[in-house]
Amino acid sequence: MYCYCLQQLQLKKEYIFVRMMGDMSAAFRINPKKHMQTTETPVMAAGIREALVQHREKTLEKMYAKAYPMVLHYVKQHHGSPHDAQDLLQDAMILFYEKVVHQQLTLTAAPTTYLMAVCKNRWRRELEKRHREQGLTPEVAEQLQEETDPVMEAPTVALTGFVERLGQKCHDILVSFYYLGQQMEQIAQQHQYRNVRSATVQKFKCLERLRKSLSGFSSHHFR
Amino acid sequence: MRPELEEIKLLEALLGGQLQEEQEQELEIQLLWDQALQQKVALQQVAYQAIQEAGRKQLRQELQSIHRRLFS
Repeated sequence: MYCYCLQQLQLKKEYIFVRMMGDMSAAFRINPKKHMQTTETPVMAAGIREALVQHREKTLEKMYAKAYPMVLHYVKQHHGSPHDAQDLLQDAMILFYEKVVHQQLTLTAAPTTYLMAVCKNRWRRELEKRHREQGLTPEVAEQLQEETDPVMEAPTVALTGFVERLGQKCHDILVSFYYLGQQMEQIAQQHQYRNVRSATVQKFKCLERLRKSLSGFSSHHFR
Repeated sequence: MRPELEEIKLLEALLGGQLQEEQEQELEIQLLWDQALQQKVALQQVAYQAIQEAGRKQLRQELQSIHRRLFS
């Protein structure tokens, strides 16, 4: 199955980006992780990928229903709250979606097993972090927090707004294609475009508007 | 499609590594001197970044509503 993968679009030719944008690259660069490649036949991943892309909400709901009680149980036993469990699982599921849809992750275990492993791992790190921060004065703790936050976090909030301000139609077509990994056929059908061609033209028009609106943002923030 | 949109499509193919080698080299050479094109490539990358953030936000909202439906 052919798809434009977001990670790929951002990662390939990264050197051009770095060379050109100077300061800007520091704010937007993503770690150039290599694509996961394997010689195994990704039977299971192909199935879950299709389920996720074609029936996203239903598939996510099934996974959530199964995983949440397990994560909650684990987190509660390890000094956490239901709220922690909720955050943890949702982060893990977003990661899972991106890996399966964009990076062709080959699952060697059930999705729930994978999610549990990610949650446990992240919760352990979170506990270590909280433990380290205990005993520090609030000022120092806050400073540390600022330092460990990913560089991405500040511009992230603003960036989302640029897509939202394009209107629902553009938001949906761009997100569905580039992030959710849907095929143009599916998008054209769902959003009542005459055909794939007109949906594709619309997609590039939306991308053009987004690019235009971002030029103001980047000159404002990075010059 | 009008030429501006064709160009966006072309840059997308460049960024995704989907161009023929010859065409890719041609563009890279142009990028060495054409500052306007450099700017367009850079902005297009930020655009994909913005879409990724918007997508994550949408997914998060969907998961939140799943949580509310199932567990509260």
